[in-house]
Amino acid sequence: MRDLRKAFGGVRAVDGCSFAVPCGKISGLIGPNGSGKTTTFDLLTGLTAPDAGQVLHRGENIAGRKPYEIFRRGITRTFQVTRIFREMTVLENMLCATGLRVPDRVARERAEALIAFVKLGSLRGEYGGRLSYGQQKLLEFARALMTDPDLILLDEPAAGVNRTLLQQLLEHIHHLQERGKTILIVEHDMNVIMNHCERIFVLDHGVKIAEGPPRDIRGDERVIDAYFGRRRR
Amino acid sequence: MERSDVRSLYRLAAFLAGAYALPFAIGGWYGAVHLNERWLGYLATVVISGVLQGGVYAMFAVGLTLIFGVMRIINAAHGEMVMMGAYLTWVCFFRLGLDPLLALVLTLPVAFLFGVALQKVVLHAVVGQPELTGLLVTFGLGLVIVYVTELVFTTDFRTIPYAPGTVHITRTIAVGQNKVISFLIAVAISAGVYLFLKLSRLGKAIRATALNAEVAMVCGIPVRRVYLVTTGLAAALAVAGGALVSIQFGFNPETGTVYTLQAFTIIILGGRGHYVGALIGGVMLAVLEGLVSLLIPNGTAMVELAAYTLMIFVLLIRPGGLMGVKEA
Amino acid sequence: MTRSEHLRNLLALGALGLVLALLPPALNVYLRSFALFTMMYVVLALSWNIISGFTGYTSFGHVIFYGIGAYACAILVADHGWHWLPTLLVAAGVAAAVGVALGYPVLRLKGPYFAIAMLGAAEGMRVVATVWDGLTHGGLGISLPSVENSIPTYYAMLGLMLITVLVAYAVGHSRFGIRLNAIREDEVAAEALGINATAYKLAAFALSAVFPAVAGGIQAYKVLYIDPPSVFFVQITIAMALMSMLGGKGTVIGPIVGAVLLYTAQELTWVNFPTAHLIAYGLFIVIVARFMPRGLVGFAIDRGWVRKGMVH
Repeated sequence: MRDLRKAFGGVRAVDGCSFAVPCGKISGLIGPNGSGKTTTFDLLTGLTAPDAGQVLHRGENIAGRKPYEIFRRGITRTFQVTRIFREMTVLENMLCATGLRVPDRVARERAEALIAFVKLGSLRGEYGGRLSYGQQKLLEFARALMTDPDLILLDEPAAGVNRTLLQQLLEHIHHLQERGKTILIVEHDMNVIMNHCERIFVLDHGVKIAEGPPRDIRGDERVIDAYFGRRRR
Repeated sequence: MERSDVRSLYRLAAFLAGAYALPFAIGGWYGAVHLNERWLGYLATVVISGVLQGGVYAMFAVGLTLIFGVMRIINAAHGEMVMMGAYLTWVCFFRLGLDPLLALVLTLPVAFLFGVALQKVVLHAVVGQPELTGLLVTFGLGLVIVYVTELVFTTDFRTIPYAPGTVHITRTIAVGQNKVISFLIAVAISAGVYLFLKLSRLGKAIRATALNAEVAMVCGIPVRRVYLVTTGLAAALAVAGGALVSIQFGFNPETGTVYTLQAFTIIILGGRGHYVGALIGGVMLAVLEGLVSLLIPNGTAMVELAAYTLMIFVLLIRPGGLMGVKEA
Repeated sequence: MTRSEHLRNLLALGALGLVLALLPPALNVYLRSFALFTMMYVVLALSWNIISGFTGYTSFGHVIFYGIGAYACAILVADHGWHWLPTLLVAAGVAAAVGVALGYPVLRLKGPYFAIAMLGAAEGMRVVATVWDGLTHGGLGISLPSVENSIPTYYAMLGLMLITVLVAYAVGHSRFGIRLNAIREDEVAAEALGINATAYKLAAFALSAVFPAVAGGIQAYKVLYIDPPSVFFVQITIAMALMSMLGGKGTVIGPIVGAVLLYTAQELTWVNFPTAHLIAYGLFIVIVARFMPRGLVGFAIDRGWVRKGMVH
């Protein structure tokens, strides 16, 4: 993305932010609360339109496009607070994501495969609203993979999730990366970011203040300043 | 305000200007416009009547916006409650010999209690539900009110002769005395309610609950009581509206439906939950109705259409209305 | 649901259709009428359910399409001498067009605002029909040439009902229906999953407009007289909504059950309590909406008697 800007009534959520996400690698987006991380995600996936700036995907500017167009280009995301469909079953949740051109059988097979991938097989007929929080996160994660996207944006995948589940998730994420997918994670959990991301971007007050591999970020003065006073997890 | 917010406000203002100009254009084309003093006097009368009328409309529209704002329930029976107010006043006047305005002392508390009872028995279960439930429940209630009234009073039109004189503002501009009196009382009541909402503890509690009921509960606001008072207040306002309308126009059990839609139009135009907006909306609608009925041939049927068209276009251009935020 | 389950349902529908088809000669005129109107309400409730139950956009003015259909047919038959059957197709076409034209701006509105806008649209259309007397004969209404037609209209309505049930079933058990549900659950998340909400909503809305219009047309031909207040009657929308809610909004069988039960109850009360029945109807609406917003089928699902879900 290049020079992205978005203001909400005077609050400059994202103010001239630019960075490039490397292909085929796991990257992290971090920053203190209110630094504009989720807004950036919203801008990337079309939930909000930027006031200025560009989002370049394969050379094309996709800024301001509708979310479903962006989805069809192979970019999917999960949400900070899960947005699964509560009154629909797990299987139905999965099937939502495939376009009508895809034949039923193919969609079903893919859904079943992904449900197995996240080990939710026994719950396929259960309503989304009945799942535990961790299971919902897995469901949302699996759902985002239904169309075999190339770029996956994960918004705080570790939030509110126990250790074991987190391990599972991270395994899945690495598995995806090995298959050539690009993944961008927003996280507050530093262990996750430092140990699993190859490149990290740091935001503060809507501006990118640092960028680089984990060891560079770890010692970066500006990053520490930005987080100063904030309780580390 | 955000840029798109401001833009939609301009668009709304432009639409309203057009809406007001249209009757003149149509009237001019059909030859209904005459640029002489007498006709201009009529025009001024119509506009002033509209303003006076609008004050009354606004008052009972505030009742609707209270219920919608605080409980997110669309009260499809609001017009029927207005109609109830007209009949109650009629009973007070013809059976008890009370001056219709004095009768308010009797009818308003009765209406308030009715509203409280309604909330306790029926509406409290509807509060969190999707809009359909509230619509159906209140619609059913409206039906019951209409048909019970029909049983008791038959479908005959009734009127209350009161203050039949006219007030002459100038040689050519004259409005009915009853209109002026209604307006003054409506303003007094509206001002009273507005002050109550702004200054009293309970009033502030009501406004807080309208903004966010969950947070209000957490802050220790007695949300249950707020709902009871809100519905009671709304019912009282509707009945007051009915009383004031009864001394100006004839009414029968079926006249309620028009008031409901007018009230909707007003709160949408003014903005959900904005009380000053309701006043502006009321006046704007009433004046537009007056213009339409004066300038457009077949005016009386068109008056209804004016309200619907206004409502739909406001919803399409700026659902938040004049005073609300763009999306409401 | 497996193929065999679908087949079983289809056969059941076919059997029902056959029974209903063989019925007319055995019934007197009143009962034939009653059956016709029951089927009509099944059509109306199912159609309403497509936009309001599945997609979650509560249309409080859906009678607008019914009225448009009635007028389209009546005008063509009475003023232009058409045979009534082709007018039904015209009614469907007009309704679809109006559905898209009206839906495009109006479906942008959220919940309660959409409901009120539709109500305004329906009432506005009623006034337009009253005022545009060049086309619609205004308040005088349109009288159709008098014909004994209770049997042909019965079969027409039966056919319409079967088609509507099939379409509702198809929507309810397909990925199209699942995506509509997604829009209802969380439109933003649905868009983020590749669902073009605007297109889907419009499709659902247009689909839900077509069948009431044809029903209106058949009804106009049966009753032989229409006027604005009777075909743009807000209580028809209420009936559609109430029947769907009573049976279970968002399911396929719910509106069918609701329509049959409610219409039958209405007829029985009307016959037995002519003055009080409207009050009873009002009270009934209040009670159902207050105590059973999820409807009978919803009740059954909560108890686990019936499985909700389109795809297992």
